[in-house]
Amino acid sequence: MRIVIADDSVLLREGVVRLLREAGLDVVGRAEDVPSLWEVVAATAPDVAIVDIRMPPTHTDEGLRAARELRARYPSLGVLVLSQYVRPSYAFELLAGDARGVGYLLKDRISDLHELSDAVERVGRGATVLDPSVVAQLVGRRRPGHDPLDDLSQRERGVLALMAEGRSNRAIAEHLVITERTVEKHVAHILHKLAIPAGQEDHRRVLAVLAYLGGTGGAGPGRPAR
Amino acid sequence: MHVPADPGDGKTTTVVAHDGRRVAALVHDASLSDEPELVRAACAAAGLALENERLQAELRARVAELRASRARLVEAADAERRRLERNLHDGTQQRLVSVSMALGLAESTLDSDPAGARRIVAQARSSLGAALAQLRELSQGIHPGILTERGLGQALQELTYTAPVPVTLAVSLPRRLPEAVETALYYVAAEALANVAKHAAATAASVTVRGGGDQVVAEVCDDGTGGADPAGGTGLRGLSDRVEALGGSLTIDSSPGKGTRLRVQVPCGS
Repeated sequence: MRIVIADDSVLLREGVVRLLREAGLDVVGRAEDVPSLWEVVAATAPDVAIVDIRMPPTHTDEGLRAARELRARYPSLGVLVLSQYVRPSYAFELLAGDARGVGYLLKDRISDLHELSDAVERVGRGATVLDPSVVAQLVGRRRPGHDPLDDLSQRERGVLALMAEGRSNRAIAEHLVITERTVEKHVAHILHKLAIPAGQEDHRRVLAVLAYLGGTGGAGPGRPAR
Repeated sequence: MHVPADPGDGKTTTVVAHDGRRVAALVHDASLSDEPELVRAACAAAGLALENERLQAELRARVAELRASRARLVEAADAERRRLERNLHDGTQQRLVSVSMALGLAESTLDSDPAGARRIVAQARSSLGAALAQLRELSQGIHPGILTERGLGQALQELTYTAPVPVTLAVSLPRRLPEAVETALYYVAAEALANVAKHAAATAASVTVRGGGDQVVAEVCDDGTGGADPAGGTGLRGLSDRVEALGGSLTIDSSPGKGTRLRVQVPCGS
């Protein structure tokens, strides 16, 4: 897998490069701001671009906007956005409309080689990656009235969280060390509880689950941020 | 003050009125009743002088209030800095010190006990993760980036994700508000929600923000036990000061058993 990395911090950029190489992945380009990121992507045609959310000049959300524009221009490019903060709003913006081949990860997460290569690989093959901390915040939030999530078993809540992270049934089964068949049963029950249509592909499923979790308060599906 | 209509001793009373209010009584020689112009002039002069006095006293009181409010705002800012310094010292700094020590230990036992060293390094990484989480939280308390970057609506939405009680949110703002207003309203909501959990034994809260025209109105309501002291503790007073500094007002409506409603009104002229 061919990867480019964009981050204005030399320390972080080179740290990630080292980790990626250690994981046996191929780093084909580096950028320190958004214009050079575009140049590098055009020049090297990578499979995945890892982009820091905060980039020059304002150091707020340049990386996020660049990620969306890159995906629009290069639909087969996977983009993994890195952030220091748990910002469900930004995660929703990033995933809005099409969750294929895109990810939002906390920088803490990538200090673990396995987590980093796992996320890159998933984004590279068109899956969705959402940091567990973001998911935990959304799953754990207090909901008014009767919360359907309270009717789920501990195991089912675990499955729900993994679904919200963008994982496939098979990955969930591996993660929880149960059979895929068991996962399918749990998933069916959860989707029914949350009134989410079953039978969707993973990338649509994750959007539906997140829309539910991130709603404006009150039961039922909410809407992801604009 | 009782003024005799007939003071006796050759004197009589004329009441001085200003703006329809009785402000003074002129006790004068009865013979002056034959010179109404003189009496009227004296009354007018007295009326003006008294009105002046009243206005000055009001002004003095206002200035004193403003001074006190300003002092409270400065003290609140200082108290916040002290709190941050303590948090950083006791929390994050401690953790980083222990990570540094762990790494030192790992370095020195790398050859003699590689398995042990690896375990220590793993622990150090875990400690660092906790330190990072702590810093994130602190940072969020100093300034929630999402407020500046996406505005009040989004910032309030994120607040509902971590609020201690379920929150129903309704925001209707035709455009972004001035930064100072957004910041004040955000902290009002954050503090109000934190209070709900601490004092009110509530099961749910709602936050509504409506803007448009030249003012914005925000309300935080809960279904708790009510009976909040309208004078409020220092937390609420700090919010009041913030809001009033922007020319706005904060009111609390809290009858025992009927929950609490906190209402903030801030002008934000176009």
